[in-house]
Amino acid sequence: MLIRLAWRSIWRNRRRTIITVTSIGFGLAIAIFFICLAEGVYAQLVRDGVRLQSGHITLEHPEYRNAPAIDLFLDRPDSLRAEINTFSDVALTKLVILGQGVAKTGTGSVGVAVMGVEPSVEVLLSPIIKTIISGRYLVDSDNSKIVIGSKLAKRLHLKEGKKLVLTTNDITGALTEDLCRVAGIFETGSEEIDGYIVHAPIRFLRALYNMPEGSATQLGIVLSAPESQNKIKKRVEALIINKHITAYPWQEILPELASYIKLDRGSNLIFQAILIFLILFTIFNTIFMSVLERNREFAMLLAIGTHPALLKYQLLLESFFIGLIGCCAGLIFGGTASYALQAKGFDLANLYTAEGASISGVVLSSVIHARVTPMILLGTSGIVLAATLLLSMVSMKRIDTIQITDTLR
Amino acid sequence: MNPIVKLQGITKDYGQGDIIVHALRGIDITINPGDFTAMAGPSGSGKSTLLNIISGLDRPTSGTVEIENLTINTMSRTELSRLRRDRIGLIFQSYNLIPVLTALENTEYILMLKGMPVKERQDIVRELLKEVGLEGMENRFPRELSGGQQQRVAIARAIASEPALVLADEPTANVDSKTASGLLDLMERLNKEKKITFLFSTHDKNVMARADKLLWLKDGKINDYRTA
Repeated sequence: MLIRLAWRSIWRNRRRTIITVTSIGFGLAIAIFFICLAEGVYAQLVRDGVRLQSGHITLEHPEYRNAPAIDLFLDRPDSLRAEINTFSDVALTKLVILGQGVAKTGTGSVGVAVMGVEPSVEVLLSPIIKTIISGRYLVDSDNSKIVIGSKLAKRLHLKEGKKLVLTTNDITGALTEDLCRVAGIFETGSEEIDGYIVHAPIRFLRALYNMPEGSATQLGIVLSAPESQNKIKKRVEALIINKHITAYPWQEILPELASYIKLDRGSNLIFQAILIFLILFTIFNTIFMSVLERNREFAMLLAIGTHPALLKYQLLLESFFIGLIGCCAGLIFGGTASYALQAKGFDLANLYTAEGASISGVVLSSVIHARVTPMILLGTSGIVLAATLLLSMVSMKRIDTIQITDTLR
Repeated sequence: MNPIVKLQGITKDYGQGDIIVHALRGIDITINPGDFTAMAGPSGSGKSTLLNIISGLDRPTSGTVEIENLTINTMSRTELSRLRRDRIGLIFQSYNLIPVLTALENTEYILMLKGMPVKERQDIVRELLKEVGLEGMENRFPRELSGGQQQRVAIARAIASEPALVLADEPTANVDSKTASGLLDLMERLNKEKKITFLFSTHDKNVMARADKLLWLKDGKINDYRTA
């Protein structure tokens, strides 16, 4: 009966309830949409970042992170890799050699970051593959072929099929160089990547750096379920306990990206908090007005023997109904819009500069997708609903101040 | 016979300092089971204040209030609330029904407070509404009922929990004389048949004429007392 009474009571002032429910729904929908959008962009950045680098979890020589040197490599991590590949949630593993060198042509020389990759693995995940604008990406049978960025190609006047000399120091420190031919040119839109990164087959770089067969500076683990990162890292750490190898999460490999996401998430949180505060203000106003308007009715109910706690419970139910309807509306609208953006994406190309947008060296695709998770949908709605109930408790205090005889006079 | 209401030396003062209003100045009353008592007097004579004190909605400045031999002066808010729920029915001048509940639900509310099962309370309430002449109107909302019909619902609500005493604050003030007469018939019948004790405050001469006892209040004191 109390439920019926509370439900009917919220519809006494139909227009006010509709306005309140709409404002909750609208505010929540906006909050959900922007959280999903931001999480989608973060997920996209992390996905591209880790695929461009060495995965969600990177295994390296323990000293490599502090002083990256080509002689700090992992010696034949094949058995370890095979074992990690059996883990569920591991999409694939990749061996990488990261080194420095100088690319020289007849027109000049430029310092470059050389990345030795397994072409057959890289084609499955690297965001660079989609950005080839001339020629092709590497294949496993390539030996001295390389893929370079458009900015580097422009500086050295290189085109597909042209040659350059890659000069570097091998693991003994001796100067070494080899002639390479450009298989393809990519253009990600990032100055850092297009002007600096060179992809070469890992076999070719092992030979250039005089590294043992099967070795690499990194063993990267790409996860199919990024949320299981900590779990997988722990399992991997159990495998490498006595092997002089350290496992790093991507947050330590790409600290700038991790900091950017943390900072952006924080500022988003403030925005969402302000939005939710505004919603709550509307709710508070509605509930409080509704209590004030019914002073006489509450006084009568108290007079005939209703315990104040029961009236407070009725108000709590009314707030719950208003919050619940508003949250359902917000979930439907915000969820639907976010799902649409997740499924279809939205092309921001027109808003971009010619250089494109990159964050911490990771290029943001012009097509952005939202990321919808039950946690975002239910968490955000839950916060609004819980805050609504908490706010209603402020209004409930009014029940204790009702002077029955004065009000009924 | 144990009285249902026993008031001794009741005074009630309002205000502070130099500006004190003496609303009641030493009232002694005894109401016995089955009484049909009216309390009359000019506006400001203290009728409503006295009803509020008897119902425990207000506390006297001095004196003792006993309801069924229980002194209620020292009872807590919760105890008083329970006393009103279980032993005292209240009827207000302006009906005070819950607008979003039907006649049946308004009457049922008091039994819900007592924790009575739905089926049982609905059966009782249907019978009560029939008794107060509202058969077939159980599912009407207050806005769909006339003033007299709304007051009948209020009467049904007041007697639903089978209280020892029904206090009615000018129950016929907001209805025309014909309706008022009908309401009085009803309350008189409930008094006679169900032995429900009634205490009214009223300005209505018809009510005064039909009461078994009449208390006349003036300036916070009982000025006259009459029995049938």
